[in-house]
Amino acid sequence: MLKIQNLHARVEGKDILRGLDLQIGPGEVHAIMGPNGSGKSTLGHVLAGRPGYEVTDGSVTYRGEDLLAMDTEERARSGVFLAFQYPVEIPGVSNMEFLKASVDAVRESRGDAALDAVTFMKRAREACKAADLPVDFLKRGVNEGFSGGEKKRNELIQMMLLEPSLCLLDETDSGLDIDALQVVAKGVNSLRDGKRSFVLVTHYQRLLNYIEPDHVHVLAGGRIVRSGDKSLALDLEERGYAWLEDEVA
Amino acid sequence: MGFMEQPLAEARAPHWLQSLQARGQSRWSAGKLPTRRTENWKYTPLTGLRDDYRVAAASDVAPAKLPDALAQGLGGTRLVFVDGVYQPSLSSVELPEGLQLCRFADASDAQAALIAEHLDTLVGGQAEPFASLNTATLRDGVFLHVAANADVQTPVHLLWLVRAADAPTAISQRVLVLAESGSRATVVEQFLSLNGAEASFTSGVTELKLEANAKLHHYRLHEESGEAIHIGAVHARLERDANLDSFHLALGSRLKRVDVVVHHAGPGAHADLNGVYLPRGDEHIDYHTTIEHAVPHCTTDEVFRGIVGDKATAVFNGRIHIHPDAQKTRAELSNRNLLTSTEAEVNTKPELEIYADDVQCAHGATVARIDDLALHYLRTRGVSRDEAEVMLSFGFINELIDGMALEPLREYLRPLLAKRFARDDTLARHLL
Amino acid sequence: MSQEVIDSRIGKEYSAGFITDIESDTLPPGLDEDVIRFISQKKGEPEWLLEWRLEAYRGWCEMEAPEWAHVDFPPVDYNALSYYSSPKNMKDGPKSLDEVDPELLATYEKLGIPLHEQEMLAGVAVDAVFDSVSVATTFREKLAEAGVIFCPISEAVHEYPELVRKYLGSVVPRRDNFYAALNSAVFSDGSFVYIPKGVRCPMELSTYFRINEAKTGQFERTLIVADEGSHVSYLEGCTAPMRDENQLHAAVVELVALDDAKIKYSTVQNWYPGDAEGKGGIYNFVTKRGVAHRNSKISWTQVETGSAITWKYPSCVLRGDNSVGEFYSVALTNNRQQADTGTKMIHLGKNTKSTIISKGISAGKSSNAYRGLVRMSPRADGARNYTQCDSLLIGDRCAAHTFPYIESRNPGAVVEHEATTSKVSDDQLYLCQQRGLDAEKAVSMIVNGFCKEVFRELPMEFAVEAGKLLEVSLEGSVG
Repeated sequence: MLKIQNLHARVEGKDILRGLDLQIGPGEVHAIMGPNGSGKSTLGHVLAGRPGYEVTDGSVTYRGEDLLAMDTEERARSGVFLAFQYPVEIPGVSNMEFLKASVDAVRESRGDAALDAVTFMKRAREACKAADLPVDFLKRGVNEGFSGGEKKRNELIQMMLLEPSLCLLDETDSGLDIDALQVVAKGVNSLRDGKRSFVLVTHYQRLLNYIEPDHVHVLAGGRIVRSGDKSLALDLEERGYAWLEDEVA
Repeated sequence: MGFMEQPLAEARAPHWLQSLQARGQSRWSAGKLPTRRTENWKYTPLTGLRDDYRVAAASDVAPAKLPDALAQGLGGTRLVFVDGVYQPSLSSVELPEGLQLCRFADASDAQAALIAEHLDTLVGGQAEPFASLNTATLRDGVFLHVAANADVQTPVHLLWLVRAADAPTAISQRVLVLAESGSRATVVEQFLSLNGAEASFTSGVTELKLEANAKLHHYRLHEESGEAIHIGAVHARLERDANLDSFHLALGSRLKRVDVVVHHAGPGAHADLNGVYLPRGDEHIDYHTTIEHAVPHCTTDEVFRGIVGDKATAVFNGRIHIHPDAQKTRAELSNRNLLTSTEAEVNTKPELEIYADDVQCAHGATVARIDDLALHYLRTRGVSRDEAEVMLSFGFINELIDGMALEPLREYLRPLLAKRFARDDTLARHLL
Repeated sequence: MSQEVIDSRIGKEYSAGFITDIESDTLPPGLDEDVIRFISQKKGEPEWLLEWRLEAYRGWCEMEAPEWAHVDFPPVDYNALSYYSSPKNMKDGPKSLDEVDPELLATYEKLGIPLHEQEMLAGVAVDAVFDSVSVATTFREKLAEAGVIFCPISEAVHEYPELVRKYLGSVVPRRDNFYAALNSAVFSDGSFVYIPKGVRCPMELSTYFRINEAKTGQFERTLIVADEGSHVSYLEGCTAPMRDENQLHAAVVELVALDDAKIKYSTVQNWYPGDAEGKGGIYNFVTKRGVAHRNSKISWTQVETGSAITWKYPSCVLRGDNSVGEFYSVALTNNRQQADTGTKMIHLGKNTKSTIISKGISAGKSSNAYRGLVRMSPRADGARNYTQCDSLLIGDRCAAHTFPYIESRNPGAVVEHEATTSKVSDDQLYLCQQRGLDAEKAVSMIVNGFCKEVFRELPMEFAVEAGKLLEVSLEGSVG
């Protein structure tokens, strides 16, 4: 599904990723943990193609193609979805318009027929229900005036409607209370179908109680410094990150 | 021939307005045209004005067809003018109870008395030569009279079509609205070029008088295109507890300049003043707004937004003037601009002039391009860059469109604006 | 500032308002080419400078005084002013502090700038301009060691003619505006500073200006050139005696920050503001501007409490890529003072940044206007401006205005402007009084809080002085 080799990236003149290797197979769930400033969020943005995130070395192959050569929207259309840590507010553009534009663009590039208004509405309502967000949120401006938890749930709605192949969740759990976390986790779990892959970027082990990962990686200093199964996350929760950083140093 | 010489010579106000007209003529001839050194005209050159504008004779103006988008109408009374000449065949006058509407030319004695009493009382002075010109070249006008406590639900739609097919045409527009105490009404002023319109100069003045506790929804839409020049003004006076909701839109043409002046004359008055300007090509749009807080306890919320592309220029000047003793005033103004081309230009100046201390006043202005982060967010959802730009431009303006009270007008404007942003229709498909 | 200096400032009246009794060598009122020749000859100036002055004068004759500012005053009769006044004992110029007229020194003591004490006050070198000539410059030796030139501009004309000739008028052309043209024609003296490449000026440089003679205009000219990679911080203080008639002050300050240089220019302006009825006071019509070259930074900080009328817009021309301009201002008006002040940020280079923080305080029957211009040129890709203008009104007979001009011709540039107004509310006063503070102390606290973003930009000694100055200037503004 995804193969990252020796990835180096810089942001605003600072080297953040320094030789990151990671391989993700179909249907796998990978958790990437690490201390603040280790480059976790940078990885998500580099994969999604955010302007200003400059890849200086290495390669990323996604389903056999060079991901880095693709434009931001091409990546999205080919099934890479990034759930933002801080979803962007777009006043004046309704959530509905936004979702329809997005779903149409992605389906069109896949060669699927555009959804008619009734079907689309039906799916959007279902997604709202799954995300536990009232349907009137579809009429409001994109994320406009939403609480932190509502924004994260709105990301989940988009993920459900776009049916991506690779879901990158950037600190989706931060700032969520337990109830909201459970809703998001349930949504993510419902999308696990044995083919779709997930990368969960998180600072806390808590999320992994609800979404069980196949692999856990620790990112520090811009590289994966340790990989293991979910027991690694429990170790980290108990001992913090300092011992690992010391060990690496 | 000099600028407006023929229209001045041909001015034909009704006889009971002729002394007013004479005053306008003497004010106009005593003043001089503003230049770039005139503070109020610093960013707007008048070099496009021609010397050969002529008033269209009624017999020259062939009846036109209404544009398709307007055929359905806004669901109320409609008066239509073509090149300034009234077109009964395109108009439909159904007056609900409490509403009187007439042209100055057709005014009854009682109406004439009211017009003579109120007309030209909110404008004038050396600072506004074009308002003097309007009075000086007055030919006809529209008088809208809302009776006390009348609650008029349907809008009054005043439409000026610009055809100017044969020669550079001078068009005079004059409106007086008298909303008596406790009344409610809606008036839409719209200016629209018909296809192939040639050079024209429209001089517009609208006076809105809101008596105590009156509520007026006012819309002024400038959709003239091509070589049209419009220099117009809207002056409103609000008595105690009156409420004005005024919305302005300007799509470009060679030059549009609109001065909006709201005078809070009675405590408790409130004004919402919103506007959108969208010049492109080499168009020039200039809005100058002034809010006069002359008495205590009045409030104003003003939002103007513009998107300026190609080689176009936008000028915005938003002045809030708090007079001495106008305590407990609250006035806020926001002006945001998107600049979408390296050859476009925005000049904005929000002004506060405050002579009372117990007031809450604030203004803000920004000029930038479309937010990079929002653009990126849309692209990560698979939306193309071009479509994302259209959606974000539309969204920027749509916040104001959504706030409009008159639904048929929203329905009219949405596709109009969506199409304007999307030069290719497919890019607007999700907005329509 | 020492405690006694501070104490001396907290008088009930304008504490700097006393007249020094020394014999002056003053030119009779009137202005024509002969007066300019006299000034130039008196200073033994080279021919080119005389020609430069005459050119400026001829330009000025064709200009009209600007009327766009939000101030109101009777026209100035420029022929009723005297354009040269020199303390007589100073003709040959003091060689050291010991040679300075003791009475003059006493004047500085009263002003709170004792020259002797300056040597104790760490790192402040002072060039004091008294009416029209520079009277003393301290610390010259220490500065000379670092290669820093700090001297009266009249001296620089002789000692460093190539530097003066290269930069004089390069930032503010002699016909830039009415008052700058007048200054260019008749400027008497002022400071010249040159910081060589890569040098960090070892101390704060400081100038005190004082107008003494009746019916004289003061026209000093300051030129600061920071060569590549150099740093300098410059302080300017201003006072004038109390007089019934208005006195004119039309200065020009030019700053040149070459590549990678930094100039910080701080002003505490306390010219005599006139009495409570608006009689007397200084007309302060000043042109201050800096040109910032690549990666350089120019920072203006001003605390303006004096003058009957202030007309002043310290500006930055951000010519070089990545250059930075800053303007931090507190302008306080009381009684019948009128101020129209602000800045211009002209963004020419790529990625240029500017910040404008303006705090206007109006009390009494005064009028206080912020006027600013932010211009983004077509070349200024990636440029940013942030402007914040806040007004505080004290009392219901004062006025506060905001006139920001924003001109953008670059879609890649971002301009943000915000302005607010507030008052010192009765509730705030009540709360403070209920906690045992008197009304004036309460107002002073609120005002200081309002200004803190600007005060923190001032060098330490000045920040204390500025706070005290506001307190003094606001006396009697709360009933």
